[in-house]
Amino acid sequence: MLTRIMNSAIAQAVVRRLGQVVVVMLGVTFMTFALMNLLPGGAAIALAGPNATQERINQIRLELHLNEPFLVRYWHWLSRAATGNLGNSLSSGQPVSHALASRIPVTVELVILALAVALLLCVPIAILGASRPNGIVDRFATYLSVAGLAMPNFVFGLVLILIFAVRLHWLPALGFVPLSHGIWRNLRTMILPVAALALPLFATFLRVLRADLIDQMYGQDYIVTARSKGLSRRRILTVHALRNSLFSLITLVGLNLGVLMGGTVLIEEIFGVPGVGQAMITAISLQDVTTAEAVVVIIALAVVVTSLLTDLTYAFLDPRVRYGSDSR
Amino acid sequence: MILLILACFVWPLIYPVPSPIAGDSAPNIPPLTAGHLFGTDQTGNDVFSRILYGGRVSLEVGFGAAILGLVVGGALGAMAGYFGGLLEATVMRVLEIFLAFPSLVLAIVVASYLGPSEMHVIWAISFFTVPYFARLARANTLQVREQTYIRAAQLMGVRDSRTLVRHVAPNILPPLMTFGLLGVGFSIIIEAALSFLGLGVPPPHPSWGNMISQGQQNLTTQPVLVIIPSAFLFAAVLAVNLTGDALRYRWSAQ
Repeated sequence: MLTRIMNSAIAQAVVRRLGQVVVVMLGVTFMTFALMNLLPGGAAIALAGPNATQERINQIRLELHLNEPFLVRYWHWLSRAATGNLGNSLSSGQPVSHALASRIPVTVELVILALAVALLLCVPIAILGASRPNGIVDRFATYLSVAGLAMPNFVFGLVLILIFAVRLHWLPALGFVPLSHGIWRNLRTMILPVAALALPLFATFLRVLRADLIDQMYGQDYIVTARSKGLSRRRILTVHALRNSLFSLITLVGLNLGVLMGGTVLIEEIFGVPGVGQAMITAISLQDVTTAEAVVVIIALAVVVTSLLTDLTYAFLDPRVRYGSDSR
Repeated sequence: MILLILACFVWPLIYPVPSPIAGDSAPNIPPLTAGHLFGTDQTGNDVFSRILYGGRVSLEVGFGAAILGLVVGGALGAMAGYFGGLLEATVMRVLEIFLAFPSLVLAIVVASYLGPSEMHVIWAISFFTVPYFARLARANTLQVREQTYIRAAQLMGVRDSRTLVRHVAPNILPPLMTFGLLGVGFSIIIEAALSFLGLGVPPPHPSWGNMISQGQQNLTTQPVLVIIPSAFLFAAVLAVNLTGDALRYRWSAQ
């Protein structure tokens, strides 16, 4: 049994996919490093401050190994990064990995909550809409998703602050209470950022899921079979069609992780959430190269790994892929 | 709808508006006063004229980045799809690396590398419009390549470059164009985000993004300064997206 699985197409596909991930990650780290390190002027001048003497700049260049060839520096950085040592922050002097360790869970919480909210809202609305195409709910859902796609999330975030924090005083506009201070207090500060982050996702998911459900309902043989068995439309929609549409939803989640991660950068900045995105903006404005490149690499790594995971989930859920037949 | 937005370019030519950066009026005039339709901001600039000039930036960047993506990405994708082999593998792998970055993060990195200016923002955004267009162009070229008229052209001894320009390009262009409009909307959003972060058009000059960012400082006392540019940003992206949807619908109906 085990050998059969090992030899199956899926095992080979996983190995091939992993190979691709490694290549992409090497490219990502190289490009980040190149962009960050070929800056004119560069880290040494930024670090030395405006009034530094030429000797001081030279000394810093020596300390940071800036006089060595670019590829050598990349290799040093990469081999250290592989062991978890991302270097010291140029602005605070602290190890970057320490500074980021407390920030990563915050961003993860934000992203997961936003994803959960978007999914939990879009599935019922899409089902209601698809059960009566062009009905009231469906039209409302379409307007909602068109509007949601046109609304940049930082603008929506500001609008939320304006309504709920400035006008109604229901929720705090800024500040963040860590999870360790109690779940409810933490969630209270997270509601607005999560809502702002979830809107474009919700709009995208809703749009695709609705179209896919309607597609399934009106063109597929198995729906006709289910109908002729005498099943109710609602049951077919929520059990049979939804099951198939969930596959495209999973792919969509994978494709949108990048958008989501990019969105957190802005949302964290606006709402003062101390996640990795905020660290990145601060680092870039301070020209703190080591922190900035670490954050960019971590975000890209997260996107690549999660998209790998969605691919695998997809393969696992779809029996045609799981059993390695080529019937697709 | 698009015409309404193009007013940004024509309006200042036919109708004199106050300078968007002069700061020669009294600050903080509320909207709907005579002479200042949307009032003035903290430094005494007319908000209406800033909206018009800012809209120019948004539209230039949006269309600029999308066109650059369409031309460069389309050419790369078409060549990759047409020739296949090593060229295809190399191009697609490199583009995959760009796609691994979240779009906004990549744009922030490139924009902070190049420094704030409108042209640099277009370059930064193109870093991810190019791969998207290339991927779409390649997929479409792969289909077109198998058509008999391409085979016929090849058998007649037409050079590859000529086949690509005369036979492949016209056939992959319509889907790329419809995707292009969605790209415009996306680019406008990213431009606003970059300007909002101070990485876009440098501040004395208006852009919807940096207007929102400046207005944010006085959110409690003067929410109008955030609401007006936000509303324009929303309307512009909405208009571009709806046009894109309509085009796509027409294209798929054929």
